[in-house]
Amino acid sequence: MTTGSDERHVMLGAYVLGGLSDEEHSAFSEHLRTCGRCQAELGQVSGLPRLLDLAAPEGGPFLTSAVGGDAAPRERATKEENVVRLLDEVGRRRRHRRRWLSAVAAAVAAVLFAGGAWLGPQLFSSSPPAPPTTHVAAAPVAGSGVRVDLALVTRGWGTQIDIDCEDMPTQGELALWVVDRSGRAVTAASWHATPGGYSRVTGATALPPSQIRSLEVRTDTGQVLASART
Amino acid sequence: MPLDEDAVAAIYREHGPMLRRVVWRATSDANRVDDIVQEVILRVWRQAPDTDNLRAYLITTARHLIVDQHRAAGRRPQQAQLVDIAERDSALDRALDQVLVEEALGRLQSNHREIVRCLYYERLTVAETAERVGVPEGTVKSRAYYAVRNLRAVLDEMGVTR
Repeated sequence: MTTGSDERHVMLGAYVLGGLSDEEHSAFSEHLRTCGRCQAELGQVSGLPRLLDLAAPEGGPFLTSAVGGDAAPRERATKEENVVRLLDEVGRRRRHRRRWLSAVAAAVAAVLFAGGAWLGPQLFSSSPPAPPTTHVAAAPVAGSGVRVDLALVTRGWGTQIDIDCEDMPTQGELALWVVDRSGRAVTAASWHATPGGYSRVTGATALPPSQIRSLEVRTDTGQVLASART
Repeated sequence: MPLDEDAVAAIYREHGPMLRRVVWRATSDANRVDDIVQEVILRVWRQAPDTDNLRAYLITTARHLIVDQHRAAGRRPQQAQLVDIAERDSALDRALDQVLVEEALGRLQSNHREIVRCLYYERLTVAETAERVGVPEGTVKSRAYYAVRNLRAVLDEMGVTR
């Protein structure tokens, strides 16, 4: 009987686990000296016996009982219940986060409004210091359920725009367009839709926040999903 | 950006049972299993990790949570001996690895698992295993070969790298 080379490689398994006859063991040891492939494979799996020794005698519940682990029965009964509980918690934490964001937006809006009433008339005589960050919630256009939060951050070079959006289309490209006071629109960011419909991206424009008239989130076909006026 | 509800539910459905087994057997505290598993998935929800090995990420997160809680529970008012903590942590690591190895064995094909049991845990020879299982010796050898490779792959996937 001839021993093909594949047959010899295959002995690696029983070499690691044990169970080869003495002749087979020395034959494989001999083969191992000259076979780079088997040496490399042995290097990957030689730690297994030490790990197998960690398992309970007889290799744990999966080797001693045919089905499932010890926690299985209760698990089946409560699995969907647990999913519901988990999603409730996700919803609770998300609402908490959103409340916080809205609160920030409301506070900023209130400050801007009060500031505007006070400072509006004097804007051209002495400019007030630009607020460093303005949060804007972009309103979805009719028929689109997207949620978009924008944060305009004043930078020396222009405006950084942090875009936080949820319930977006899940396919195609999306872009944030910035419209300046003269009505000119430029792209400030573009990104690929994600399967979850969530994205957080950061865009940039050379326009200072005061020169931004509105912002729009559009699809790659030019459809406007949400827009915000500053 | 956190994951959406569907993604969270999918993670729970796919990995929840494994996590529950791992956490249950590592903590032996049935009352805390669901809380720990939920917290693990909520952390992953919040962090939305960009990983191609979510299973290992979940297990690592669970390990951190269990270790943290274990330490918090074991903190004593008097100066804790560092040696104790190190010993306890390494015992806990061993316990977790044990659970993960058992979990990995559970994920093997049953005919591969059978071969591991016969050759490794029962110390049978290839010939005895062939007789026990009722297949030729060549089949035992090739199953042993694929069992070893698959076991390594499953353990890698779980983040057990040693």
